[in-house]
Parts: sequence; structure tokens; C-alpha cells
Amino acid sequence: MIYVLYIIVVTICVYTARHYWFTLNRLFGFQRHPYIDIDTADWPPVTVLIAAHNEELVISHILEALLAAKYPADKMLIVPVNDRSTDRTREIIDDFARRFPGRIRPFHRIEGKPGKAAALKDAMEFVETEVVLIFDADYIPGAGIIRQLTAPFFDPEVGGVMGRVVPMNVGANLLTRLLDLERAGGYQVDQQARMNLRLVPQHGGTVAGVRRTALQEIGGWNENSLTEDTDLTYRLLLHGWKTAYQNRSECYEEVPETWPVRIRQIMRWAKGHNQAMATYAFGLLFGKNRATLRERLDGALLLGVYAMGPITLLGWILALTVFYQGIAQLNGIIALLSLTAYAAIGNLAAFFEIAAAIRLDGHRKRIAILPFLALGFTVSIFSVSHAAISQISGLLTKAEFHWDKTERFRKATS
Amino acid sequence: MNPFLSVAILLLTTGLLFTLPLLPAIWELQRKSDALPLDVIQQHAGEIRYFADRFRSYLEPLEPVFRETSATGQKAVGIMPDGTEYLVLGLGTEALGLPLGERDKLCPVLLASATDLTVSANSTFSRDVYSRGHFVGDSNNQYRALLAEHGLHLGAGSSVMRWVHAGGELQVETGCKLFGRASSDARLRLSPDCTFVRLNATRIEFGNPMESPRSLPHPTGLLAHSRRRLCGGDFEIKPEEIFRGDLVVRGNLRIGSGAKVFGSVKSDKELIVESGALIDGSLISSKKLLIGPHCMVRGPIISERVLLIEAGTQCGAADAPTTVSATRISIAPGVVVFGTVWARELGEVLA
Repeated sequence: MIYVLYIIVVTICVYTARHYWFTLNRLFGFQRHPYIDIDTADWPPVTVLIAAHNEELVISHILEALLAAKYPADKMLIVPVNDRSTDRTREIIDDFARRFPGRIRPFHRIEGKPGKAAALKDAMEFVETEVVLIFDADYIPGAGIIRQLTAPFFDPEVGGVMGRVVPMNVGANLLTRLLDLERAGGYQVDQQARMNLRLVPQHGGTVAGVRRTALQEIGGWNENSLTEDTDLTYRLLLHGWKTAYQNRSECYEEVPETWPVRIRQIMRWAKGHNQAMATYAFGLLFGKNRATLRERLDGALLLGVYAMGPITLLGWILALTVFYQGIAQLNGIIALLSLTAYAAIGNLAAFFEIAAAIRLDGHRKRIAILPFLALGFTVSIFSVSHAAISQISGLLTKAEFHWDKTERFRKATS
Repeated sequence: MNPFLSVAILLLTTGLLFTLPLLPAIWELQRKSDALPLDVIQQHAGEIRYFADRFRSYLEPLEPVFRETSATGQKAVGIMPDGTEYLVLGLGTEALGLPLGERDKLCPVLLASATDLTVSANSTFSRDVYSRGHFVGDSNNQYRALLAEHGLHLGAGSSVMRWVHAGGELQVETGCKLFGRASSDARLRLSPDCTFVRLNATRIEFGNPMESPRSLPHPTGLLAHSRRRLCGGDFEIKPEEIFRGDLVVRGNLRIGSGAKVFGSVKSDKELIVESGALIDGSLISSKKLLIGPHCMVRGPIISERVLLIEAGTQCGAADAPTTVSATRISIAPGVVVFGTVWARELGEVLA
């Protein structure tokens, strides 16, 4: 038992060191933004896919924002991918298509496998451009973001592009404020540090782009994946394509405002991520592929982030068990030290990362919310652990995955 | 002490210690003093003409003053809504006799002219300068920011701290230092020994280009190539060789003299393009990028470290503008760029 605990402690220490490495790099290291300077070019034609399933509250906002984008109108085609919506989504999209002929070409999907990946896969059959950008329907892109997300594709090594997601409903309640902090840490520090260090920036599946040739080479969208973005990141990596992260390509999103919605969202992410881990981790680490050594190591660690929830819980249980069983006094002390280490160093590293992100964003007072992150982390640990357990039991009972769409909170506008 | 009381005190103390760090958090949650979304650049302030456009808007309240001074040929002085003092000239040539400080020749007010504007040498303008016509600055002047609706001429040894924009041709003489953005809606000419950070114009000439601009042989759009070759080590495209498709090299890459590449190329290390080569795509290097004389590159040129472009090379074309970007850029006289040149740290025109 004690040896399992040792392994868990070492694993947690590795992740802790990783958090510190990323944060210190972001604060003091060389910052890579190689493509953000490309503001003049012979811009290529692009297709912008908007994944939409029952989005009557938000779909008009993103269409208006995209129509105002600073990109040659004759080179940008907006394709709302209406995936079996049962509300007014279709009606709204068709109205826009009528008003802006040639700029919006709706793709109405009325049957087929549910899920974003399946819908995008069907829509890709009608895409003719080399550059494909993807947004979820609740996002509001800025005027310059189409150019910013297209620019990295001038690099022939780039297969995918990811922008920065910024919550817009920050002040709604405690949950949205915690999610704002988590997003800041995840993008401003984690993603940018991976870009700086030439590791594996993660494709997020929204505020993102993909090169059609690369997508075809890796076999298209994986409709069996719960997180098509993670799946895409790893298949691109294994085939020698890079995902570029553009920290200054910010786009507003709406984050969940209620805990049940947040828990369902993070459980879906955890299951999808674990699914990708089971599929790609071994091949990435030991297989013959085109990833560099540092990409293999970082990629494997990134695949394991959602597995760390149940592993940490197991570590806590083991540490307490070893201590109270009094297996040996020395072991008991080590277990106690381990327990302390989780509470202090492990959590502190993530807190440090988020605090650094707030600093880099130029905020001051919202750092006061930081202690409440302990609540967010606790909920996340139990949610992803529950997701992992239900995933394993689902595998044993051969239950099918189902895709939970994240509920929208925006008020309807007249 | 009563054991129940001890336990109660212990619990109370623990509870207080636990709550203590949450007090500022609860206070912030209630007050929401920093609960707005991150200020995302929706208006795209990175646009090179952003400051020039904002300055034009800032000057809008002076429109009646411009009309009056233009009609009468008189001066006008006053204070802008934000408290900035201004001097509007009816006749721009009057600026040669501006009441500059005797010793340091400092002009501490916003200077604007309804017509052409000429300023004398060795002067410092600590506020922005505006000309509705042409602007001519003599040598060794220092400006904060400059906007001319028509041509703009910066005398030798002058410097601009923030930005400069010309509606017409922007001519920068020898030894000038452009610390911020410099742009023109027409042509921008930089003489040798100038330093810069960010340039944008329809056509940017470094020194005096000898040749007239060339057009690209294949007017196909960028990113039209679908074939990619990935090479693990060093790679060389032989002189006069024709290479079709995109190329990614994890080592060093050399493109031989007179070679033609119909696609984009990238090197994770050093990339050398020898004389007379044609790249009908983008050129990307993670480290050092050297472009020899008389080359032609259609797409963006990006180096994450150092970039050197030799004489006679053309980047982009009139119908295919492009971006040249690197941490440090050195450009020899005789180079032409259509579009943007962006040096993250420093750019220089070689002597």
C-alpha cells in the first residue's frame, strides 16, 4: 500500500513542478507570439463553422459579430452547423442567410449521430477552403480574430490553431468568478507556456481553426470522441502537425452559472480526456510517431490531468489509512508528510499559476477571490473522480457515451 | 479549564483561522469591484493606423478653428477639453518662426496646421503635431507623434517616439529613429542608418531600390498547396531546382541560388535563401533567417530571432501584400516590401 502511495506522491510532485515551471516561464521566460504580427497578407479563403444545437438565445449574436469581422468578405464563408435543433435556431439562421446572401451558407442537420464532432464531420463534406475556423454558438468573436486565427496557417507545420477564451458573464455569481480565474490560469499561463516551450498547446474545439489537409490526413473528426478537441490535438501531434496557441486572439464565451451545469460540463470533459488518454498515451510515449521528446512527455502529462482527480483522492485515502493503521512509525510520518504536501505544495502551485495569470491580465482586486478556489477544486476533484468511476463501470457494462450540451444562460434579446 | 470550553475555544479559533483568508474574498464577492470581463480588444487596437485615427477624432472639436485660420491666415491658440494647450497655424510656414524655447527649442503645445507645415531643425515637439497638408521637418528634430494628411518628410537624424502616419508619401532621411509605428497610405521610403519597429505602407522602400517591382509568376492564392514534405534533419534545395509543395525541416534548411519553391517552407533552425531564389509561399524560421540578394518571396516572412534581407529582394507584390516579422531585422538598401515590416525589438536599414 505504501508503495502505491509513494508513486502517487511522486506523480503529484511531477504535476506540481510542471505548474511552477509553466508559471515561472510565463513570468520570466521568452514569450513566443510568432504569428500575431501578421496583419497584412494575401489572405486565403476561410470557412467559419458555428456549432449550434438549440441556440436561439445566442446564435444571432455570433452571426452579427462574424459579419463585422475585418476579413475580406469575398474570402470568408460563414456556415452555421445547425445540429438537429428543435427551437428557433433554424429560423434565425435562415433569416440571416436571406439578408446576407453569399456570406452565410447554412448547414441544417436533421438526423445522424448526436454530438458536435459528428455534426462537424458532416459539415466538413461541404467545406472547400484549406482553412477552417470553428466557434461554438455562444461565443462572440472580435473584429480582428478571423485574421489572427488564420495567420498561423501560413506556417506549413501548423495543423491547428487555438485562441484564448474569456468569460463574459464573470460577475454573475461565485461560480462564474471562480471559472474566470480558472480560465485565466489555463490560457494566460498554461497554454501560453506550452507555446513558449514548444510543448503541446491544446486545441479547444472553439475559437480555433484546423487545416483541411491536416484533418483529412488524420482521418477527419472523430465522432466517437466526447471531446473532439483533445482527440484532434493528439492525432495532429502524432502526424507531425503543430497546434499553435494565440494568446492575444481573445474571444468572449458564456461560462456555466449553476453548479449542476458546471459539474456536467467538467464530467464530460473528464470522460473525453480520459478516453483520449486510453487511446493515445501509450502510442505517444512509446510508439513511432513524429512528436519530439518534449512533446511526448508534455503530451502524456496533459492527457493525465483529469486522471489526477481520482488519483489524488486515492492518495488521500491511502495516506490516512497508512497513518491510522500504524503500519510503521516511519511510514506513518511519510504518509503524514505526503498529506501535508498535497494540501500545501500541490494546491499552492495551481494557486500560484492562477495568481500569476491575474497579474498578467492586469487585474488586481479579483485576486481576493483566490481562497474560494479551494471550493472549486474540491468540486472538480469529486466530479472528475465520479466521471472516471462511471466511465470504467460504463466500459464494463458496455454502456454508450452520451453527449451533454452545456446549458446557455444569456437572456433573449428582442 | 473545562474540557468542553477548551474544545469550543479550539473549534472557534480554528474556524476563525479558516475564515480569515475568506474575508477579503467575501468582501470582493459582495462589492464586485473587479468583476468585469477581461477587456478584450474588440476594436482591434493593434491596427497600425489606430492612433492616427484616434488623433483625427481627438482633433474634431478644432474643425471651426481650422476653417477660420485657413480663411484668415491667422494663428489661434486655446485649450482642448482635456486641458492640452494647442496652437493652430493658418500659414504652415509660420512654424519656422515658432516661439520655441531659446535654449532647448522646445514646443510644449499641440501644433496643428490647416495647410502645409514646415518646422525648423533641432527642435523638440513634446505634444503631437498635425498637418492637414504636407509636413516637412528639418534635421535633428524630436517628435512625440506626427500626422500629415498628405506627404511627410522627416529630416536626417530626427526621431519619433510614438507614431507617425502620412496620407501621402512618407520620406525618412538618413539616421532617423522611429520608435513606434510608422505608416503611409502610399509609399514609405527609409534611408540608410534608420532604425524602426513597425512599418506599414502599400510599398516600403529601403534605400533606393534599383529595380522596378516584379510581379509574381503564379497568381494562385496562398495555402492552395496540399502536399507537404516533413524532413527530420537538415535539408537543401539545390540551386536552380524547382520544388513544389510545402516543406517542413526540423534542422537547417538551405535554398540554393536561383531555386524556385512553389509552396511554403519552414525550418526549426537556420534558414538560408541564396541569391535569386523565388519562394511562392511563406518563409518561416524558428531561429535565424537570411535572405540573399535579388530574391522574391510572395508570402509572410517570419523569423523568431534574427532576419537579414539583402539588396534587391522583393517581399510581397502590389497585388499580394505581406508581412515581414522578426525579433531583430536588418535590411540592406535596395529592398522593397509591400505591406508590413514588424521588428519586435529593433529593425535597422543597413548603411
